[in-house]
Amino acid sequence: MSVVLADGVTRDYRMSGGVVHALRGVTLAVEPGEYVAIAGPSGSGKSTLLQLLGGIDAPTSGHVEIEGTRLDALGDRALTRLRLLRLGFIFQRFHLLPVLTALENVELPMAEAGTPRGERRERARALLDYVGLLERASHRPVELSGGEMQRVAIARALANRPALVLADEPTGELDAATGAGILALFRRLSADGTTLVVVTHDERLAAEAGRVVHMLDGRLRD
Amino acid sequence: MGWGPRSLARHPLRTALSLAGIAVAAAMLLDMVMLSGGLERSFADLMLTRGFQIRVTPAGTLPFDADATIAGAGGLRDTLRADPRVAVAGAVLGASLHARRGDSVVTLFAYGVEPEAQGIYQLESGRDLAPGDSAGLLLSQPAAAILHARPGDQVTLAASLDPGTAGARAERTFVVRGMVRWLYDYRGQRSIGLPLATLQAMTGRAAEDRVSLLMVKVRPGADAGLVARSFRERHPRVAANSVADLVAAFRVRMLYFRQLAWILGTVSLLVTILLVTTLLTITVNERLGEIVTLRAIGVSRAHVVRQVMAEGLALTLLGALLGAALGLVTARYLDAILTSFPGLPAAFSFFVPRPDAIALAGAALLVTGTLAGIYPAWRAAGAPIAATLRAEAT
Amino acid sequence: MLLALLVAAQLPRVAIERRLAAEAALRVGDTVALASTADSAGTRAVVGAVFEPPADPAAVLRREYRVRLHLPDLAGLLGEPDRVDRFGVALRPGVSPDSAASRLNALAFGFRAYPSKAIAAESSRTFLVVSRFHRAIAVISIVASAVFLLCIMLLKVEERRADAAVMRFVGVRRRTIFGALLLEAALVALLGSLLGTGIAFGAGALTNLYYQRLFETRLVFSLITPSIVAFSVALSLALGLAAGALAAARLTRTRPMVLWGRG
Repeated sequence: MSVVLADGVTRDYRMSGGVVHALRGVTLAVEPGEYVAIAGPSGSGKSTLLQLLGGIDAPTSGHVEIEGTRLDALGDRALTRLRLLRLGFIFQRFHLLPVLTALENVELPMAEAGTPRGERRERARALLDYVGLLERASHRPVELSGGEMQRVAIARALANRPALVLADEPTGELDAATGAGILALFRRLSADGTTLVVVTHDERLAAEAGRVVHMLDGRLRD
Repeated sequence: MGWGPRSLARHPLRTALSLAGIAVAAAMLLDMVMLSGGLERSFADLMLTRGFQIRVTPAGTLPFDADATIAGAGGLRDTLRADPRVAVAGAVLGASLHARRGDSVVTLFAYGVEPEAQGIYQLESGRDLAPGDSAGLLLSQPAAAILHARPGDQVTLAASLDPGTAGARAERTFVVRGMVRWLYDYRGQRSIGLPLATLQAMTGRAAEDRVSLLMVKVRPGADAGLVARSFRERHPRVAANSVADLVAAFRVRMLYFRQLAWILGTVSLLVTILLVTTLLTITVNERLGEIVTLRAIGVSRAHVVRQVMAEGLALTLLGALLGAALGLVTARYLDAILTSFPGLPAAFSFFVPRPDAIALAGAALLVTGTLAGIYPAWRAAGAPIAATLRAEAT
Repeated sequence: MLLALLVAAQLPRVAIERRLAAEAALRVGDTVALASTADSAGTRAVVGAVFEPPADPAAVLRREYRVRLHLPDLAGLLGEPDRVDRFGVALRPGVSPDSAASRLNALAFGFRAYPSKAIAAESSRTFLVVSRFHRAIAVISIVASAVFLLCIMLLKVEERRADAAVMRFVGVRRRTIFGALLLEAALVALLGSLLGTGIAFGAGALTNLYYQRLFETRLVFSLITPSIVAFSVALSLALGLAAGALAAARLTRTRPMVLWGRG
């Protein structure tokens, strides 16, 4: 069974000038343990596809399944719960909560899932150690560099042991050197068996992937 | 994890100003709650200072409201004392007496009292009038000051003055027995007290046994309202009012202050709602990217709503605490203004800091703070995740 | 009939106020009994006139009924034919009330003479207290409004951080941005002042309508004069501009990169 399956999905947006066809009948399946990169020029529909795969947007037609569960069959509450427990998200702009420490940011999804305090604290520390930031656990995002913030975001994404991690331009806001560090982290995640789907312009990141999917004008090229 | 309330620390100046605004609104609200309830409570407490729950006055008047008097006080008093529900009944007569001070004449307000059944003064020094002491005199501090008299001194008083002969009529000499605080006097009032029978004789009211007022204390467990009503029904030429009746009459006279208190209190709550709602809406807009990210990673709408509303509630609570302290200070200032009304008993207060008033104002503010968070919380929880993330990325 | 008319003609006349006439269903010509105490028999009198008493702020809350009799009739009713509460004295032209009162007081025994102005001032003390109270409430309201205004201005200006950053990036001067924000604050303050003035007139009209009906009086409870309007508008404009200037100054003093969120 695929971890995630997009079956003939389209996504249209109504704008003032007319309708924009962001996705035109895309079918994509990702198997457990795969590292898939979605590449393409700006406006090709990469991020839109990622959002559909993660259930944070709904297709205009077609459907998406996560571990065999159709997302269009779920209500908002169930879909939110599924994202919490089965998916991890990493965004270009990190979006950590500035009023929480690095440790608390990582704990947040576990707190939402109802994990007991002691257990979630221990796991959060372990995850920060995994991404190489244990010594920065008590620091707030404003005290961290861009690369460090992205590492915290990666740790947060892994909090509830997701079946699938989705990353949208994870090195987009980072310089080359820092981006290389994130690259190494993704390499490690993949080696440890994490299923990854990464949207990226970064050729190095795409080169690390086991499979690269190219998009143009809302369609898969291969 | 409380990220909502902790967000208040992100913009200290903004939060401080909002707290200041809420504090002033909260102070105003507290003052108005104190004003609306304090007036009647203060009045009732004043009426019950010595435990007398009923006042009998000439029909159509309130105590010392007019110069009218009741005839046949002795008979009425006996009727009252014969009622098994009545513990004490005493009469009071009010009149003006005059005293010479050098070349000038000083006019004093005289209370004719029955010391064994009085509810109108508290002894501060010296001794009270004894039964049968027809030459005894009690003075308030202002009266003692103007007469230069102390306990033991003699004071000559006249009931009326004859401008034609430049002389006094019905003069008598008294000995000051004690200094008292007249419970219903206004600040600086020059009041004296002498035996009722003596004042009646001096002012020509003895023949008809006239008094201004009868004060009645009922026995424990008796219903003062019922006692007053039954007396009223049997004696229609007088007005018998329990303290509750008097408070109701007083309420009409204080209508303006109660209405003002309601209006200003409501405005304070509206200001609080507006301020908290505006602040939260703007900060939610600024943080929309963070909030939809939380929604994307699986934080529920309910959690987002709880956090935003907690932020509003925390702001309101802190502002309310500051406002409580400020409100107590402004209440003293406003009370000092209003208690300078001419003729108002000195013991009266408009702003009474009662625990229930503070609790009511606090509860109203907390409800307001909660309501104020509804719209911004709804906005935050309902923001479209994908569209917002797209907008953030551009 | 003739005898009744003759008897009625001999009775003292009493003028009663309109409110009493309405509530007791009395008309001119009706016979009433007047007594100085509730327990005395009193004397009969004929309603000679119904009058509207002048609007007296001191009496509006007391809800008393007023009647007028000829002085000898009232004095007789009270059993004190030679006693009065006060004299009203009209002076010849050119005579100063203060000097006349001083001369009378020098001769006085058992009475005091006051110029009418002094009596008016003394009896207005109640309303002076109310005025002071209103002023105190107004001061508190102004302080609250000023804080609220500053807070809102700060929030609204801060919402435009990104716009301000972009303008600075493309070379727009601080002064220009400051001026634009100040102009916006001035417009908002002006519109707010005009709206507030309208609301004040409306609220004042409602207040007068309500209390005039409640107390059955022609007294004016809320009076908005041109000077009050001018003062209020000037104050609100000044507060609005000051708040806008403070908020704009804070924004324009911040480095563009910090405004952009990258500083």
